[in-house]
Amino acid sequence: MRAAVAPQADDLILSVREVKKHYPIREGALQRVVGHVRAVDGVSFDIRRGETVGLVGESGCGKTTLGRVIAALADPTDGGVHYSMDGEMRRIDRLEGKAAQTFRRNCQMVFQDSFASLNPRHLVIDLVGRPLKVYNEAASADLVERVVELLEQVGLGRQHLFRYPHQFSGGQRQRISIARALALNPEIIVLDEPTSALDVSVQAQILNLLNDLQKERNLAYLFVTHDLSVVRHMADRLVVMYLGKVAEAGETQAIFDSPHHPYTRELMAAKPDLEAEANVEIRGLEGTVPDPARPPQGCRFHTRCELATSACGWEIDDIVRWLEDAPGMFEHLVGVERTSEFAAELAFDNEEAAGLLSMAVRSEQVPEAMRAAMRRLNLDGTKVEIEFEDVGEVELTVRDDGRMAACVLTPEEVASWKNS
Amino acid sequence: MTDVQQSRIAAGAMTADTAFRVRMRRLFGVLQGMASNPATVIGLVIIALMLVMAIFAPWLLEPNSPDPYQMPRDWGAVRKPPGTPGHPLGTTNEGGDVLYGVIWGSRTSLQLSLMVVGSTMIVGTIVGSIAGLVGGWVDEVLMRLVDVFLSIPELIFALAIAAVLGPSFGNIILALAVVLWVKYARIMRAQVLQIKQHDFVDAARVIGDSKLNIYLRDILPNAVTPVTVQATLDMGNVVLIGATLSFIGLSEAGIAEWGVLVSEGQAGIASGRWWASTFPGLMIFLWALAFNLVGDGLRDALDPRTEGR
Amino acid sequence: MLDERHCAAPVASVRDLKVYFQSKRGIVHAVDGVSFDIRDGETLGLVGETGCGKSVTGRSFLRLLPVPPCILAGGSVTFHTHVVCKACAGVGCEACDGTGRQAGRDRSVDLLGISSEDMRRIRGDRIAMIFQDPGKALNPTLPIGAQIAEVFLQHRTEELIALAGLPPDTVGAIRRFASQSPRFGDGWLLSLPGPRRAQRLRVEESLAKMVADALAETQVPNPGKLMARYPHELSGGMRQRVMIAQALACNPDLLIADEPTTALDVTVEARILELIRNLQQRRKTSVLYISHDLSLVRRISDRVAVMYAGRIVEIGTTAEVFANPRHPYTRGLMAAVPGADTPRGKLAAIRGTVPELVDPPTACRFAGRCPHETGTCRSNDPVLEAITPSQSVACFIDHPAQSGERPTYERVTK
Ligand SMILES: Nc1ncnc2c1ncn2[C@@H]1O[C@H](COP(=O)(O)OP(=O)(O)OP(=O)(O)O)[C@@H](O)[C@H]1O
Ligand SMILES: Nc1ncnc2c1ncn2[C@@H]1O[C@H](COP(=O)(O)OP(=O)(O)O)[C@@H](O)[C@H]1O
Ligand code: SF4
Ligand code: SF4
Ligand SMILES: [Mg+2]
Ligand SMILES: [Mg+2]
Ligand SMILES: [Zn+2]
Repeated sequence: MRAAVAPQADDLILSVREVKKHYPIREGALQRVVGHVRAVDGVSFDIRRGETVGLVGESGCGKTTLGRVIAALADPTDGGVHYSMDGEMRRIDRLEGKAAQTFRRNCQMVFQDSFASLNPRHLVIDLVGRPLKVYNEAASADLVERVVELLEQVGLGRQHLFRYPHQFSGGQRQRISIARALALNPEIIVLDEPTSALDVSVQAQILNLLNDLQKERNLAYLFVTHDLSVVRHMADRLVVMYLGKVAEAGETQAIFDSPHHPYTRELMAAKPDLEAEANVEIRGLEGTVPDPARPPQGCRFHTRCELATSACGWEIDDIVRWLEDAPGMFEHLVGVERTSEFAAELAFDNEEAAGLLSMAVRSEQVPEAMRAAMRRLNLDGTKVEIEFEDVGEVELTVRDDGRMAACVLTPEEVASWKNS
Repeated sequence: MTDVQQSRIAAGAMTADTAFRVRMRRLFGVLQGMASNPATVIGLVIIALMLVMAIFAPWLLEPNSPDPYQMPRDWGAVRKPPGTPGHPLGTTNEGGDVLYGVIWGSRTSLQLSLMVVGSTMIVGTIVGSIAGLVGGWVDEVLMRLVDVFLSIPELIFALAIAAVLGPSFGNIILALAVVLWVKYARIMRAQVLQIKQHDFVDAARVIGDSKLNIYLRDILPNAVTPVTVQATLDMGNVVLIGATLSFIGLSEAGIAEWGVLVSEGQAGIASGRWWASTFPGLMIFLWALAFNLVGDGLRDALDPRTEGR
Repeated sequence: MLDERHCAAPVASVRDLKVYFQSKRGIVHAVDGVSFDIRDGETLGLVGETGCGKSVTGRSFLRLLPVPPCILAGGSVTFHTHVVCKACAGVGCEACDGTGRQAGRDRSVDLLGISSEDMRRIRGDRIAMIFQDPGKALNPTLPIGAQIAEVFLQHRTEELIALAGLPPDTVGAIRRFASQSPRFGDGWLLSLPGPRRAQRLRVEESLAKMVADALAETQVPNPGKLMARYPHELSGGMRQRVMIAQALACNPDLLIADEPTTALDVTVEARILELIRNLQQRRKTSVLYISHDLSLVRRISDRVAVMYAGRIVEIGTTAEVFANPRHPYTRGLMAAVPGADTPRGKLAAIRGTVPELVDPPTACRFAGRCPHETGTCRSNDPVLEAITPSQSVACFIDHPAQSGERPTYERVTK
């Protein structure tokens, strides 16, 4: 994650560089593309040999999509994933033949839904033995022995060879998935919420198993999850995603000690530990994750951030969104004429509503930071002209302590809010 | 040979055997599920009796020569009611033995439904799979074609084709095949598109398995259930539609086929000669009913929510 | 926390509840002799692994179980309905001795024994339920407003008529209309022009007001606008709020919440929890909160019941159970949650999985997974007994069997 330092190819396995994945939104009979869901929108990080990188964020923020791009199940729209091969980094979507096969064997994936990821018509021996068959590594009796060996490594045994997936519990099915992922002796496994469908007791078994396997085989994991207590337990380094972008990244322990991004802080405040004081205040986030097809300007988190400043990218969409829930005005709004994301003319069907709006945006009814970001506010009969400060995207930057966060505030400012 | 090698070979033999046994047990479970449904059992019994009748037709009634699929003509016993010695179910206007028509007609019907269903299922599955797997403009073109076929009512379409080709039993088979394959293409495409989304397909891709293998091992086996059910239902329906076409006279006159018999006998109903069309009609009804009962039972037995456990 | 006055009166008492299911493999003892009280105004948390019978327990309050596979094999669920104090509307005043309930107007019914007509009257009115998946519980074809209005039409007809200023003789027609079985002419009368039409419009107006008030309670922005939207247009958190508004519309005595936040993100979950907690405290509703998440249950409930394999194995005040869990299963669950200092790969997992509940033997249900078990545990069935006035446990460690070796924690911990 130290972007400043050039990645050293000897301990790097994967290097994710500015990866974007946009899905077209199609509409109408002709299936015309009317926009793009920016599921992943420029993400970079590295994964080194034997380490666990945790990927956290709310649902819909692009974790699975990113995991699929890394496992080469989906092609990135832009940017690429580089895989270290013979001492050089090579883009995985440009690999061919033998090299592609080498990558394929070395990067495996375990899915969230253990039931859906195992073909219901295959026996355990077919499921776990399949990778071995694909690469002609074993056949008949040898295959059975290899499969039994793998099953034993994940805590299952010979007696399970000839059963169907539906005959197992969720935890056992996840073990089968892990055994299958191990069959080719990979360097890295993408684990997409491997325990979120499991009970804590079973989750503990699986987490322990994953750890043992990692130590034995010097595996690297990309551990995707939304559970902070799990990621703190598992990950050496952490990447916090929000709406397709990295909000914060760094050593897990350091982030848990002092989050540098308000979003990370909110995530932690929402779910205190079992060990925390019983009466700690819990706090949720206002509103919902914005539409990834139209991400907010500036900092993507500014629509929900309590610390937002005037430099965080306030825009016309914020006014419109606020208007939608403001009684007595939205009904009278007849048009929004944008000159840019930051400037527009709002037309109402009567002067009263227009006056009401121009009053409201000057008052306590809207966040102070939003008022501060307003460059111009003009009331002209039934029209209200509004212009905000034009702000570029808030980028992920390196902080003094070598960690990275995408926020205009300094770590000290975020930390002081935490204590207030 | 060392001990280790020997035991390994034994283990290999054992596994093949065990895997086979487990799979058989699963199949047996499906059969058991079907057997627990009385309606399905009735359907199966009817089908079994029909099959017995079709297989043992030459032993039950001496085949007509030279062509056993032509009705025998006994000009000495024309329009005899059921119970006439030598003609337990009566005879037709031309002295054809109704019992002969009923028994040998089961062969004709079986031939008709097997040929139509077999060919349409194969063509439909291939077309549907290609559309679902390849996608893009290929899918677009194939599905528009299917839409065109589906926009014309089955019976009228088949009728038109058969009429153009001229009256013959073979042409009825051809007409039905041309009309019915689209249903399978539709079902198969929907299945492929849905199964393609499943995580286990992605899991196979992560392993690095080939596209063909993924299709053969993951997609096809999980898609066949609705196709099989549809095929079973069609085994009955085809005979119904075939009978309708025969009834209008698009088949060859004088062949031992239930639909033709109904058609030729219906003129006599007004004059009280009900038997010549009633018995073959009853056979058509039973045939269609039996396959529909079994089809429904199969659908329930293969339902993943109730399967296994 | 609650004072003693409240603690004395349970709003519902479950006694030896047994709910079984017929299956191919035999009779599944999903709930097998469960007894507990939900006290007036408290939140009782119900935790346990999947398949332990939490949902079945919750659903049996409203008999929301499919009856052919399900067998109500015994026991009772007694529900005590209250009448809210008129003077203070449930807040607590001198007239009602601070309880918020009108004295002497309580009535007890066995929820498992009453007619389905009576049950329907209680459902949604005195006892309400919210589910994990609000998408499934809400009707996708009706706007939000209409779905909440239905509850009022069903259970609050008099109030509605009074609010609309209509004569009381219209109650019958409106109620029949609401129950989807209008007598011939009812709907026709109400849609006719003239005085009847004016009445209908007034009813609709009052309804809209009641619905907007109910929605406003759940802190949704702009409830008036929300009423016209369809469930699929809302986010998961918003749908859950609508479901809560619907459930609490009639001010029920008891709310059964079956994992209402499991499908939500943590940030949204925290908001919903806050909402339930606030509404519960303001209205003195009792809540049965079902969840598998220990840290969540700890925050929301006054007392916790831990369920394992169809039984309650430990029950007590939240503070006590979390500070001093006595049952090995409770201890195991708590230890399995990764903590800040747990060394990597050293999580205390409970070995094995929940056993099949088909014809369970006479033994501790947890035997086989319990690190402390002895021979005694495999041949005797421990029952739930009090170890302090407010904590009960079903384990031989605290209540030794007549004979046999007594299990201890020491053997494993040393
Ligand atoms: N095939 C697709 N077509 C269109 N949009 C998609 C597709 N796959 C994902 N998306 C969108 O991309 C965004 C990110 O999706 P993704 O599944 O990666 O989220 P996630 O963080 O894994 O969420 P969850 O925790 O719910 O699984 C979402 O808005 C989703 O709707
Ligand atoms: N409709 C049903 N048919 C058969 N068994 C059921 C049904 N519903 C629940 N069960 C069984 O009852 C037990 C408890 O289920 P449930 O209460 O849903 O668990 P939980 O809520 O704790 O996840 C399980 O063993 C489950 O299989
Ligand atoms: S830049 Fe920082 S302060 Fe501004 S909105 Fe984003 S997270 Fe909040
Ligand atoms: S009774 Fe025995 S087996 Fe059961 S929980 Fe207690 S010690 Fe464990
Ligand atoms: Mg996901
Ligand atoms: Mg449940
Ligand atoms: Zn009072």
